[in-house]
Amino acid sequence: MTTMMEHSTSKSGRRPLIERLNVFTAFALGAISAFVVWRLALQFLPADAETAPLFTREDKITLLSMIAWFVGFMTGIGALIGPVRWIMGKDLSHDENMYYAGKDMSIKRYFRYTTDHKVVGIQYLAITMFIFFVGGVLAMLIRTNLGTPEGGWIHPQAYNSIVGTHGIIMIVGTIIMVTGPFGNYIMPIMIGARDMAFPRLNALSFWLIVAAAVPLLWGQFIGGISTGWTAYNPLAGQAPLGMNGYIMFICIFALSTMVAGANITTTVVKMRAQGMTWNRTPIFIYGTVASVALALPAFPVFFLSQVMSGMDRALGTSFYDTARGGSGWLYEHLFWLMGHPEVYVILIPAVAALMEMAPVFTRRPLYSFTVAVMGIAGIAGLSVLVWAHHMYMSGWAPLLNAPFMLTTELISIPTGMLFLVLVGTIWRGRVWMTMPMMSIFALLWNFLIGGVTGIYLSDVPADASLHGSMYVTAHFHYTLMGAGLTGAIASLVYWFPKMTGRMFDKKLSWWGFWLTQIGFNVAFIGMFMVGLAGQPRRVEAYAATFNTGNMVTTAGAYTIMAGMFCFLAGVIYSWRNGQKAPMNPWQAKTLEWTVPNPVPLENFDTLPTVTSDPYGYGKAR
Amino acid sequence: MTNNLQTKWWKKSDVKKLIALTIIFTPVVGYFGSIIHVRSMGDPASKMMQTTENLIAIFTWAAAPVVALVCSVMLIALMGKRHYGDNPPEEADHDISNSPRTNATWLVGSAILCLFAVVSGMIVLQHDNESILDDAAINVNVYGQQWAWNYDYPESNGVRSNVLHLPVNQPVVFHVTSMDVKHSFWIVELGTKVDANPGVVTEVAVTPNKIGTFNIRCAELCGLYHAYMQNKVIVQSKDDYQAWLDSQPRTDNDGTKPYEEAVGKDSTLEKA
Repeated sequence: MTTMMEHSTSKSGRRPLIERLNVFTAFALGAISAFVVWRLALQFLPADAETAPLFTREDKITLLSMIAWFVGFMTGIGALIGPVRWIMGKDLSHDENMYYAGKDMSIKRYFRYTTDHKVVGIQYLAITMFIFFVGGVLAMLIRTNLGTPEGGWIHPQAYNSIVGTHGIIMIVGTIIMVTGPFGNYIMPIMIGARDMAFPRLNALSFWLIVAAAVPLLWGQFIGGISTGWTAYNPLAGQAPLGMNGYIMFICIFALSTMVAGANITTTVVKMRAQGMTWNRTPIFIYGTVASVALALPAFPVFFLSQVMSGMDRALGTSFYDTARGGSGWLYEHLFWLMGHPEVYVILIPAVAALMEMAPVFTRRPLYSFTVAVMGIAGIAGLSVLVWAHHMYMSGWAPLLNAPFMLTTELISIPTGMLFLVLVGTIWRGRVWMTMPMMSIFALLWNFLIGGVTGIYLSDVPADASLHGSMYVTAHFHYTLMGAGLTGAIASLVYWFPKMTGRMFDKKLSWWGFWLTQIGFNVAFIGMFMVGLAGQPRRVEAYAATFNTGNMVTTAGAYTIMAGMFCFLAGVIYSWRNGQKAPMNPWQAKTLEWTVPNPVPLENFDTLPTVTSDPYGYGKAR
Repeated sequence: MTNNLQTKWWKKSDVKKLIALTIIFTPVVGYFGSIIHVRSMGDPASKMMQTTENLIAIFTWAAAPVVALVCSVMLIALMGKRHYGDNPPEEADHDISNSPRTNATWLVGSAILCLFAVVSGMIVLQHDNESILDDAAINVNVYGQQWAWNYDYPESNGVRSNVLHLPVNQPVVFHVTSMDVKHSFWIVELGTKVDANPGVVTEVAVTPNKIGTFNIRCAELCGLYHAYMQNKVIVQSKDDYQAWLDSQPRTDNDGTKPYEEAVGKDSTLEKA
């Protein structure tokens, strides 16, 4: 703080701009610019022609205000200072960069455009938990409404909006849940780097997510997102103004993902410690890179699909309007070109994190590192070739169903490799009964069910029965939640000592683990059954015969909620009063456990040199 | 230790246990896995649905050994040398970090299963696709709109109905389209589904082989009352079906135009 004081007083006596910007100025500037643009647009935008589709002028006004919010927010947080200074030829000085990294700053650094990867990691952790909290509350609303066949107490329009919002924010939450907190906090230390390759881009990727959240919230108050998370056109073209919130949310979030992807990939490729050859790079790093590298081609497509959707709404284009030469199938293609790689963006880092933990908790080497890398690479490669299996029943090209069935089922081979690695590592290990270790068993169990049901869905004739039913919903919850979220929560417990300096409370982690896992398996087995019996997805009412299955699912959902509250209580309690953690509580051999608690600003005094892979467990070594 | 390494791998006690457990679990997983699916899907009302249920049962049995193997490994690991406490256990005796033979076996095994799934799927798919070309089939035009289904019988004096009537054991081809947004035409017990896209006609064929009343539901979120966009298909004997057709008003709409245009008035059914 003293250096900063010297620095600031050396100027004109006022604090320089970079020290005055924080999350409050960002929200204020964002809100002001949105309001100003809204007023101006209301005043000066010409009325629509008689023939214009519904809402066109209102769509323009909404989108313009949201863009103004976005620009105002990013300016207010200070994202433009670096680029502007660079353009002016006066790049940030060393002191300024250290200020940006949050040097000697108190808790305030979490509310600023801070570039330190550890601050960004904690910020990501907080926002991920916030997203899961909101998404979870929405899920409970859905399940409560589905407790009776004639849903009833939530209006269908609100219900559809809840379903869509739950879907999209949970997808976003699961995309960032591993690569956000742990990819930012742990990954650079794990590879022996002092920070990310582009620290300012790192801060940018986080604050873009905050900026994105507001249009989504805003959308809830102007009609909601009544289209499901897929926002298929032409339904999205017909949806109320809230749809613009979805469009802006996706566009900004896609930017964030692209920025984070470029940053993490560069960091891993260029900044690994001396001696950390690709053979000695921990498998979690492979998982993180595969995930963000997959997002790199996927999210620009998503971005474009939404730009076109917004243009159809606000500017009268007809990309997706069949009557005027467009095609709804075009939207589906663009969406699933992102949508299928994206499920592996979610899954791979979670599984890789558990692979990282498996040797630590069984005290034996990771089984076949090569197979693990091949599995991850195989999934990443194949996942961009399978998108049209979401469109088997759309009728866009029945002849192409067979080749897409082939590519989809081929993914089971690299997925099987991941199973082999985990199973092979557990085999003859000494099982250290910790919550992360049990999560490996839970992941294997859930992912078996999620994987096998995926085979039925990948088969075109069977999909004719299952597509669009609750069966699909249960299937992807098994993979994204049963496998993905399980891995993410295990990662939290595993890396909590390094991130906070305290151990995660054991009792609460066990309660959380068993409640979520039992509740989860009860909830989604019930959902499989009603799906098979013919209950469509995203319905707010259903035939009375499905009532038992839905009651089971709802009961399971409440159990999951109880478990998630245990985890939340565990995080809060352990962070404040947990037992102080030693430097290496799990006796693991990766680099992040060689730095003290709390981790110093630039992680390492002298950069480490790596001489072996981090899996040297077992007596013979 | 050395002794242990010299023993042939299949003579080791944990390997024997693994094989035994896998053999026990395989039929359990296969039986319960397939029975849960088939029971939940209910009695099939067409050969297509029957095939689907068989296919799912076959896939379950094919996946059962893998599921059983993974579960057995987990069980053996959990039943084995557990360690509790804040400090790590001793290092494991087992230090093999790779086994090319196991990897190869696993790869070949999963490739065979994958190939099996693809080939059996394609055979059934081919059969389903051919049924669209059946000359003996009757044609029904299906119109989805928010939030109702309408059915035209262009070969039978352009009869229009909002309840689908079908003769039993008679192949039928549905020509499905939508008047507004995307819907998905799903006859649950018959196991057919195809999306209704605005401006495009998609086709699906089926032969109902059971008399009865079955469910039609929209399987693609289509707005406010998506949940209520469902009605019934009544599969009847050929005589009953003909009697029903004769009782309907003629419109002489040959199916080349949408019903409203051909009939020349707004006869859209009252919306929900």
